[in-house]
Amino acid sequence: MERAGIPTVVMSLRPEITYGVGVSRALYARFPMGNPLGEPDQPQQQHLVIETLLGIIESATEPRTFKEFPVRWRRWERWL
Amino acid sequence: MQLQDVPTEGLDEKYRDWIGFIAETHHASDPRVNDPVPFALLTKPLAEARVALLTTAGAHLDDQVPFHIETVAGDPSFREIPNDVDVRRIRFTHTHYDTSSAAKDPNVVLPITRLAELVERGRIGSASPVHFGMMGFNPNSGPVADELGPTIAERLVEHEVDVALFVPG
Repeated sequence: MERAGIPTVVMSLRPEITYGVGVSRALYARFPMGNPLGEPDQPQQQHLVIETLLGIIESATEPRTFKEFPVRWRRWERWL
Repeated sequence: MQLQDVPTEGLDEKYRDWIGFIAETHHASDPRVNDPVPFALLTKPLAEARVALLTTAGAHLDDQVPFHIETVAGDPSFREIPNDVDVRRIRFTHTHYDTSSAAKDPNVVLPITRLAELVERGRIGSASPVHFGMMGFNPNSGPVADELGPTIAERLVEHEVDVALFVPG
């Protein structure tokens, strides 16, 4: 896709695989498998993660850009 | 939001351990890496860009053939999911993660509703008319790299997609 001119960003829950394979842009979150964008029926949480992904699309200047989502799962739980 | 880089120390070794585990426990293992890693720049503001969703969470519609999960060979096929679908029709066939959150709210892995809200707010220009469901258990990554990826890339170009968001299960 990148070779076809389409910028991509990957949500990552397994940083060693994302890093080992090598991707153009990625965001790692310390979230459990099955919940990459947050909790079900929590649109604000989901929007915060998606906005972070979009921000990486806008700001990344080189391949293998790999950022960490600054909110951990335990903090999400306290929100609920 | 200021984002920190992921600390990458030790990740190469963990990746090698993972690949070794897959090679030992599955019939097929054809690990591929991107070297060099390709990189395309966004050529227009996101407010004018068309965004597609790709998920490896095993997403398909209720009337589509589910992914093949009864094999250690994996299933490198894909399902097209229309943007205007009723998200309650989306199903998840995948045995390597807990699908209960996705079953409750498909937006945790395939955020079609969130994408529509971003279009409404003007944050992105439009949603792709079609999104792509895949099943992430593919211990043989050759067909994923050689067939699945290029085929979906062609579809994205046909649909004039500007940005692709990848979400796992």
